[in-house]
Amino acid sequence: MPAREGTYGLLAEFDTPSDLVRAARQARQDGWRRMDCYTPYPVEEAAEAIGFHRNKVPLLTLIGGLMGLAAMFSMETWVSVIAYPLNIAGRPLYSWPAFIVPAYEWTILFAGLSAAFGMLALNGLPALYHPLFNAPNFRNGATTDKFFLCLEALDPKFDLLEAKKYLESFQPVSVVEVEY
Amino acid sequence: MAHVTHAKTLPADLSAPLFVDAWKTRALMVGLVFSVVAAGLAFADGSVDHVLRAWLLGLMVTFGFAVGGLALLMVQYCTGGKWGLLLRRPLEAMSRTLPLVFIYWVVIALTQKRLYMWANHGIVDDGVRRGLIDSDQLEAINHAISFKAPMLNPTMFVVVGLICFAIWGFYTWRLNSMALTREADTLASTPYWIKKFENLSGPGIVVYALTMSAAAIYWVMSLDPTWYSSVYGLLFLVGQGYAVLALGIIVSISLSKAEPYSTILRQTEQHDLGKMTFAFVMLNIYLAFGQFLIIWSGNLPEEINWYLDRIRGHWGIIITLDLIFHWLIPFTMLLSRDIKRNKKRLIRVCQWMIFARAFDMFWLIEPNFKDAARNLHASWGIFEYVAVPVAMVGFWVAYFCMQLKTRPLVQVNDPHLAEILEPEHATA
Repeated sequence: MPAREGTYGLLAEFDTPSDLVRAARQARQDGWRRMDCYTPYPVEEAAEAIGFHRNKVPLLTLIGGLMGLAAMFSMETWVSVIAYPLNIAGRPLYSWPAFIVPAYEWTILFAGLSAAFGMLALNGLPALYHPLFNAPNFRNGATTDKFFLCLEALDPKFDLLEAKKYLESFQPVSVVEVEY
Repeated sequence: MAHVTHAKTLPADLSAPLFVDAWKTRALMVGLVFSVVAAGLAFADGSVDHVLRAWLLGLMVTFGFAVGGLALLMVQYCTGGKWGLLLRRPLEAMSRTLPLVFIYWVVIALTQKRLYMWANHGIVDDGVRRGLIDSDQLEAINHAISFKAPMLNPTMFVVVGLICFAIWGFYTWRLNSMALTREADTLASTPYWIKKFENLSGPGIVVYALTMSAAAIYWVMSLDPTWYSSVYGLLFLVGQGYAVLALGIIVSISLSKAEPYSTILRQTEQHDLGKMTFAFVMLNIYLAFGQFLIIWSGNLPEEINWYLDRIRGHWGIIITLDLIFHWLIPFTMLLSRDIKRNKKRLIRVCQWMIFARAFDMFWLIEPNFKDAARNLHASWGIFEYVAVPVAMVGFWVAYFCMQLKTRPLVQVNDPHLAEILEPEHATA
């Protein structure tokens, strides 16, 4: 992919999550779609405000969990019934109660790993570069105490001067232009 | 830029909404109707045996609500957390229903001789005469009864019961009266009260675990004097948490149709309560399955018969349904984030869980009796397991609603109040 040039977007900085959520909600109402919120901790209403849609992590987790369950249970069945049919204290070869615990452990393990790696994959992580880190206030504040709303240049409504004026109407701490 | 607050304000009137009276009337009517049904069934069956067995089930359900509510209240005082503000008053009201549970227990204490083999050897003799107990079983039962006689005898049953009720009564009284004194105090004294409640509740949880284990052993486990399980008390303890959380969610969400709960019930805390309920669903099956796996692996004649009594002779249908009802359904439902955040659906799941807990206890109680062990069969009497507990829970709910109305529903003197009134995005 050739290096992109020009403006990535406009970044508005807020001091409180409430201000961010109100700005984001208004922007979405006014027709903005290519935008994102950046907060130091999860702010669920911000996600809702910018029209957060469902992601596929729960589905990946469920599929991973069921695969773990099926894999372990069938492995135990294969080992005990077909590969090494041992008589253990006179119990039947297919002793399903004893298979439950490892099968359950694998369900949890696979579900957990699928959730973690699925989330990373769907997020596009690991990413080596993100233009937002070009903004010094973002570098310093995004993980501590600042709340950011970024209107991206990809949005059809985006016009540098208009958008800057628009963001300033929310009375943010600052509005900066972010380069690719 | 100055921080603008968007906090909600509490209404001036914090008392329970008027529809709690309607709940009470409805619960009383359910209680009366099902009492009549129970009486009719007893008449059709020609015996009160099943009334008493079902009474024991009703006792365990209402006891779980009252004393389990007390325990969750103590847990909340120790852990803190904003969900406490939602549940504290309902839990206090649950704990104050103890007198009714005591009356329910007195009935069992007076009719021990019709329920427990160790209280009346005539039950064993009758079983032998009817061919329900063979000579091996008779030997085991006689040995167990004589060996456990110092613990399992009618006097000790009453004495231990009275001690347990006295202890629960003490904690109920202390926690309820301290809550009112704290309410009258200033906000500045909060740290003092937090410590005071912690100091009472911490040891209280230990005492609760011991006394409720004693109650579960005396009232239910001793129905089969030959069997024992060290996890039995814990099974009931977790079962109480399961049912009390479900009831607490039902009460909070139902109250949120009007002030003051419509102001304080936020989706965040509702979601938290749903997650906690999910944890109890897991813990419940963990203990129940753990006990089964250990006894199944050991396959010892002293222990395995208890399960065989509950699996063979069509009981296999019940245990399969039990697994589906009280684990699989709540587990799969509560996995979903949407259901935990949806008021109507979460209420449905919680109502189901209370039914499932009662169904589980039916499976625990009925096969103890030799006419039903390894022989699930229909009779008029078996339907008492529906009629009697529903009637008892109906009266209990009416009493609970009465207690709920005696106090303002929101505790004002609590630093969490400000947090719960904030919009949801303001909290981390």
